[in-house]
Amino acid sequence: MSNDDNPYIKAYEREKRARLEAERQLEDSSRIIYKKNQALEDSYEKLKSQQALMLKQEKLATLGTLSAGVAHEINNPLAFVASNVSTLQSYLQLYQHVQTLLETHYPRETMVPALRSYLEANDFEYINEDAEELLEDTLEGLKRVANIVQSLKNFAYDQPAKRQSADINEGIESTLKLLKLPLEHIEVEKHLAPLPNIDCNPSELNQVILNLLTNAADALDGRSQPKISIKTYLNGSEILITISDNGCGMPESVVSNIFVPFFTTKDVGKGTGMGMSISYGIVESHGGSIEVISEEDKGSEFTIRLPVT
Amino acid sequence: MKGIVFNILEEMVIEKCGMAAWNELLETALPDEDGAFTAGKSYPDENLFALVHAASAKLETPAEQIISGLGEYMFGELAKRYPIFIEQAPDLKTFLLSVDQVIHTEVRKLYDDPNLPSFEYTQLDSGALLMEYRSPRKLCILAEGLIRGAAHHYQTPITLSHPTCMHTGSDHCDLIVEFGDEQ
Ligand code: HEM
Ligand SMILES: Nc1ncnc2c1ncn2[C@@H]1O[C@H](COP(=O)(O)OP(=O)(O)OP(=O)(O)O)[C@@H](O)[C@H]1O
Ligand SMILES: [Mg+2]
Repeated sequence: MSNDDNPYIKAYEREKRARLEAERQLEDSSRIIYKKNQALEDSYEKLKSQQALMLKQEKLATLGTLSAGVAHEINNPLAFVASNVSTLQSYLQLYQHVQTLLETHYPRETMVPALRSYLEANDFEYINEDAEELLEDTLEGLKRVANIVQSLKNFAYDQPAKRQSADINEGIESTLKLLKLPLEHIEVEKHLAPLPNIDCNPSELNQVILNLLTNAADALDGRSQPKISIKTYLNGSEILITISDNGCGMPESVVSNIFVPFFTTKDVGKGTGMGMSISYGIVESHGGSIEVISEEDKGSEFTIRLPVT
Repeated sequence: MKGIVFNILEEMVIEKCGMAAWNELLETALPDEDGAFTAGKSYPDENLFALVHAASAKLETPAEQIISGLGEYMFGELAKRYPIFIEQAPDLKTFLLSVDQVIHTEVRKLYDDPNLPSFEYTQLDSGALLMEYRSPRKLCILAEGLIRGAAHHYQTPITLSHPTCMHTGSDHCDLIVEFGDEQ
């Protein structure tokens, strides 16, 4: 029987084609499954990081409420302590005046011995000076407490702010003027694209820029070729502001706490750790977001997104 | 129509009439095709109908009878390929009730975008099962054959009636299965 006569030859060739096709299909499906799996894994990762972000925002919100309460509680005693201290200051002046009068009208020699020995035993000249200073320092300290309390209130941020139409770029320019001195030795690079005015609280947004720029300046302290670059641009219906520095950067442990109130790595008296948490509150209240990426010893970049209203 | 249906038709023809007959059917019905069918791939419905009509002409048998025969044969082949669906159903009625929601649902996972009919079930007071068949391919006769094949497998005598049909202008077919052993 010749090949042409054998119907199984044809059948065999058909089978072979069918098998090759099946193998190709199997490979195609494997590829599709692989891609779908990849996409799933990607969305899973995204979900996970979004969840982390949500947890963080929740934590910050709780801290906000807590800080508002604490601020309120501290404010009341703070008010009367401050007012008492300034009253004491004026009382002190009165006592000091009495003493001067006494000393001028009744020379020491003419005093009764008991009074005279008491005056000589205590260094009233020093006491007078020191008392004044003590009260001044106390008032100064109270002012600082009041500032911190104010910061806490700003972070908690529930008062609806007065909004007005403003140009973000102008705010950046005026903030930069304010910072002339601290930024003296730093190269500042600006790329400010024209932006539409947005409804915002300009002084608050300026405060955010100020906080970011002072942090950048701090991070650049003692580094070679210090540079800050400020960029603004419009992306769809969002205004983006990025402020980056080539400063010391931050480890992950700092980045993840940066918006937490009172979190600071700076020396006592240098930083209160409120700058970024206040900024966070302000940007949130504008319906925007603030993000950080940072690499240790390389620098940091902050991105603020604000919706165009 | 998925290649698997062509494969089963092929097996049926070869089993009953031999390889030469199948080669000939392919040559007359689909002279421009290479005749190879892969189970998971979709081929034009017309190709199946062309093969059925060629067979009908060659065997001088009405096309319906060929489709019905294919259905009956198809059940056996599907049962061989997917024994799990049969094992899951203890009796014919349970099996038929599982076609739409269980079996064809599984088929959707295994095959990319298959063309499957839909079945709606009503259990009649008499104990009979009414299956409403809907499909743009109007393969109700294939369904009849599949049901007969299943009945044969479960060794359950049935009476099958088909009072409403898409081929006579209705929007669906009523397939009524009366189970012999319940009467
Ligand atoms: C082990 C059981 C079964 C399996 C694995 C199965 C699987 C399939 C597959 C793969 C197709 C082809 C789909 C396509 O071409 O895209 C099909 C079509 C079809 N099946 Fe099933 N099936 C089973 C049982 C049944 C039963 C018992 C019936 C009848 C009650 C049925 C009725 C149909 C009909 C009528 C079609 C043709 C398509 C149409 O009418 O639109 N099947 N089935
Ligand atoms: N650009 C930056 N580069 C490196 N570290 C930064 C930068 N900005 C912020 N940080 C880190 O985040 C911490 C928190 O910043 P934040 O502005 O909230 O507080 P602070 O600067 O320490 O104090 P202040 O309340 O005076 O602003 C800083 O102590 C610093 O460790
Ligand atoms: Mg700061």
